[in-house]
Amino acid sequence: MDEQELISRSKDGDVDAFNLLVEQYQRLVYNLALRMLGNAEAAEDASQDTFLSAYKAIGKFRGGSFKSWVLRIAANSCHDKQRVARRYRVVSLDTLLLETDDLPQSNNTESPEDYALRRELGRFLSEGLAHLPEDQRLVVILSDVQGLSYDEVAQVTGNSLGTVKSRLNRGRTRLRDFLLQREELLPSKFRLNK
Amino acid sequence: MFRGKGEPLCRKVRGLLSEYIDSSLSSEDKSFVEHHLQTCEGCSKELESLRVTVRLLHSVTEVPVPRSFTVTVPEPKRGSAFGPASLRWLRPATAIVAIALVVLLAGDFSHAFVNNAGVNSGSNATYIQLAPSYVATEQQTMVTVPGVMGQMSLATAKAVGYTNYNVLPSSPPSEAATQPAPGVLGGAGPSGAGMIAPQGEAGVGWPLRQIEIGLGAAIFVMLALIIVSRRQRREKAHAR
Repeated sequence: MDEQELISRSKDGDVDAFNLLVEQYQRLVYNLALRMLGNAEAAEDASQDTFLSAYKAIGKFRGGSFKSWVLRIAANSCHDKQRVARRYRVVSLDTLLLETDDLPQSNNTESPEDYALRRELGRFLSEGLAHLPEDQRLVVILSDVQGLSYDEVAQVTGNSLGTVKSRLNRGRTRLRDFLLQREELLPSKFRLNK
Repeated sequence: MFRGKGEPLCRKVRGLLSEYIDSSLSSEDKSFVEHHLQTCEGCSKELESLRVTVRLLHSVTEVPVPRSFTVTVPEPKRGSAFGPASLRWLRPATAIVAIALVVLLAGDFSHAFVNNAGVNSGSNATYIQLAPSYVATEQQTMVTVPGVMGQMSLATAKAVGYTNYNVLPSSPPSEAATQPAPGVLGGAGPSGAGMIAPQGEAGVGWPLRQIEIGLGAAIFVMLALIIVSRRQRREKAHAR
């Protein structure tokens, strides 16, 4: 069954068809939430909220990219969670970031040193992302971590192409500066200012 | 971060570096950036550091989901008219009806609803104080006016402006009840102020007792519905 048919059935109230869409996109949504919020539990909540909201609003989906549509709901859900976290100051996001097991690439032949290195790097990246303003962080994650095109990022964020490019440029530069400031803590092979 | 030679030019180039890395610049802008990079060490370093940053971000892989986020829709309520949603109104409604009943009963027992107003009959106005249960309303009290054919209600006679009228007696519920207290009824002169006769139960003019009984029955039914719905909800929770 192709995506359009699943969407059409979901609009008719077929929850099984909708859940096939959920299975297709839950990894993307969860990873966006995890990197936006820096906390696995909050990311789970945001992901569940995203799909519940999407199911309720599927009747309003007027075609286009379902992926962009669902990621937009996820971005809004993350924004709500961050606003609540800021208002009640539950736990600092920076603290939470250290708890996430944010590991780039893993394979069975990896040495313990490489594993530790990779883990350390993942932690730095997470910290760096957390230091970006929310709008820049969203664009950087969508573009550089999730591999969306400029057009797709513009659809998800609801911004113009020019705004997306500008935010991406500023976000990358800011993240680079963050990593440069802590360069002595970075593994030598990942140092930016060689 | 990295200093360039021609600052305004460098600033312009650095604004384009992100797009340059993503190969999304127009050919014109691309050749402009590349030309500048050949002569500016600061911007070249800037480009290299940004490239490493982007490569680091690209190296981040997706984390597997800890659980499924599939949506479950609650089963539709099967044939129950007593579901919690449909009977959400029941509790406040029961409370309102109960309060109304209490107010009515209190009023009834304290005779607050009984019409014991006097009858103004012109210059020989006489205040007639009857036992509360024998008092009729002006609408129910029929009168005749000298010089006018037929009967009319006391209220109509007053509204028209007749001050001289004779109140017609109506059949009392009991003989004793029709007897006014000695000394209370008096001064009925030729102009004819009369006794207001009892009419209807309790002299209220509207079926108070029937309303009270109706409200009581309604409360009984509502309480029964609440008990049934609560029992059903408990059974459902237990089944889960």
